[in-house]
Amino acid sequence: MLPPSDAPSPRSAPVPPPPTSLSKATGVPIPGSSGLTTDGSAGPDTPPPGLEWKRLHPVTPFVRGWAVIAVLLVVFGRQSIESAPEGGIPVDGGNWWIFAVGIAAAGVIGGVYAWLSWRVTRYAYDSDAVYVHSGILFRQQRKVRLDRLQAIDIVKPLLARFFGLAELKLSVAGGGDSGAKLGFLRDADANQLRNVLLARAAGLEEAPDGEILPEAPESEVLQVPPGRLIASLLLSGAAIFLIIFVAATIVAMIVSRSISPIATIFPALIGVGAYVFSRFTSEFNFTGAISPDGIRLRHGLLETRSQTIPPGRVQAIRLTQGLLWRKADWWRVEVNVAGYADSSDGNQTGTVLLPVGSRDDALRALWLVLPDLGVDDPRPLLEAALSGSGPREEFTTSPRSARWVDPLAWQRNGYRVTSRGLLIRRGRLTRRLEVVPHERTQSLGLAQGPIQRRLGIATFVLHSTPGPVSPRVPHLSDADAAHLLHAQAARARAARTLAGPERWMQAPAQAAGLALDRAPDDEATPASAPVRLDMPDENRPTKDLL
Amino acid sequence: MNTMTEESASYPPLSASAPTTSPFEPEGIVWQGVSARLATARFIMLGIFFGIPLVTLVVLAVALPPAAPWLWIAAAVVVVVTAWIAVIIKRQVHAIGFAERDEDLLIRKGVMFRSLVVVPYGRMQFVDVTAGPLARKLGISSLQLHTASPGTDATIDGLVPSEAARLRDRLASRGEARLAGL
Repeated sequence: MLPPSDAPSPRSAPVPPPPTSLSKATGVPIPGSSGLTTDGSAGPDTPPPGLEWKRLHPVTPFVRGWAVIAVLLVVFGRQSIESAPEGGIPVDGGNWWIFAVGIAAAGVIGGVYAWLSWRVTRYAYDSDAVYVHSGILFRQQRKVRLDRLQAIDIVKPLLARFFGLAELKLSVAGGGDSGAKLGFLRDADANQLRNVLLARAAGLEEAPDGEILPEAPESEVLQVPPGRLIASLLLSGAAIFLIIFVAATIVAMIVSRSISPIATIFPALIGVGAYVFSRFTSEFNFTGAISPDGIRLRHGLLETRSQTIPPGRVQAIRLTQGLLWRKADWWRVEVNVAGYADSSDGNQTGTVLLPVGSRDDALRALWLVLPDLGVDDPRPLLEAALSGSGPREEFTTSPRSARWVDPLAWQRNGYRVTSRGLLIRRGRLTRRLEVVPHERTQSLGLAQGPIQRRLGIATFVLHSTPGPVSPRVPHLSDADAAHLLHAQAARARAARTLAGPERWMQAPAQAAGLALDRAPDDEATPASAPVRLDMPDENRPTKDLL
Repeated sequence: MNTMTEESASYPPLSASAPTTSPFEPEGIVWQGVSARLATARFIMLGIFFGIPLVTLVVLAVALPPAAPWLWIAAAVVVVVTAWIAVIIKRQVHAIGFAERDEDLLIRKGVMFRSLVVVPYGRMQFVDVTAGPLARKLGISSLQLHTASPGTDATIDGLVPSEAARLRDRLASRGEARLAGL
């Protein structure tokens, strides 16, 4: 209950006992503020009284302000270098002092701002929602409904890791700035809060006198060794582009007998290098696990991220294999999760389910999302979907006339419908398999250009939530496209009515088998055995949840 | 082609699934068109867009006799392009259609590049009805359905405001009745 020892907090007032012991370990309570209604603004969505409001960790302004100071340093530094006269940085003379004072002033202002921002930010939660109040000049009161929760991430930036702090990110559908960020909290608090929120989002009634809520048990399914990650990045398109570019520049230097072409290397080097480096650091040490709370992903070298995607939140999944990965039979698996894409920080790391893995790994990742493909023997179906072509395994492919518009892949592009989802495979050079569960279909479309019309073919498009996966089947015959459109609309509708509840633990069927205290069997999800999509029911932690 | 492969799935086939000549003309669908005033609105926009360059070219052609032949040719090209686009607009407006089915809304568009969108009512997140100054003057408005997917391009331009309001309320109530999560 006490503020952390490293907090220079003057708040030593006696702390009122918290109403529920569940909230014991989370955050720094604000003395005397429990049950306060804010600002007297009694809107329709005013948080219910009786909430226990808490502040973020007191070191937050420093960790946040540090980024501001670093940015200022870069901006000032670049300006002073650019405006420097010929001969270098003007370290002699009076300019240096102006520079230092400017930085100091900016630091003080930034620090004060960050501190004020910390002062006014507070959060609370009950069984239905998380409430966050923030803003100095422009006040913001945000309520995040837990039954709409799409994912919870714990993010630890490098600096925060030195302090043992973490940020909790709640993602909801709505894109951009939706959801809530609670940062920073102490590691243990963030973990505990995540467990509490997940349990409540799942619809579990917490034990009346529950002490520290245990984390839902999990079993690790996916792992990416660093060596494979490095090799996969070296075999990626970006690295190949870089090598060709550097080689071309060297040739240009030799031919032109001057050193000037080297100047063109640097922008490309920096751009591609930054991309590869960010891929490496964010996907380093990647592990994926399954738990009753859904899929758990952990990754990151400098900034670590631990994601939890509850069951039924994956809208679409894609398995990709570039041409250079074919020899090793590596695949990359990405998913659409509402709320992850177009996040404000721009990167899409949240959407990667497996950065690189063998075929078995990739199929295991698919199994995490869709344990039941809806066919008796998924193995030959998936073989055909990943690397096959033609009408085997009941795939419907483009008609022969499509060879005029897609001579390479017309035999491969196609779809297969199972009782659970739509499988779309396409691409001859870069192979792709996209799977969309029927109940996650948003809307459907057909498109046809003049050439397609002459050839009697049309492109089928399935609209999913924002993300890396945008499923479509190019160049189906008119009849196939029309049939797929209408049959798929009917299937999506039927599946929607049968879809599980948003609070994934509330369905009556799972109450018995999936209590939180049930430890997973060690062999539940064999990491070394070949993938078994036909696992017996009792070893399928999420079967009924999806 | 094995068009009926997915019959093996456990969902019943849709009644309107018999292959037709064009996938954009499903059987048993009665399409509703939009107001012809949408074409008028687009003609006006077209006139503004190409009228100003045309007038400029003509004025220059009169004012600068040495360059006149080329300027007249340019003006003629502008006229031809305008006429061509006008024909396209006419056909495009004519091709817009929508149909309310029991469970979803169908929107069809385009002549050269055709598209057909099926939006289930249960997937609608919100409905927009908008009308700019020109559209208000002409008495039309446009309605847009939004799902959780940005790829859903479900816009119906050129609705009479009363029809737009009726459709909006109807869609909203149907959506509410069938609302599913994400």
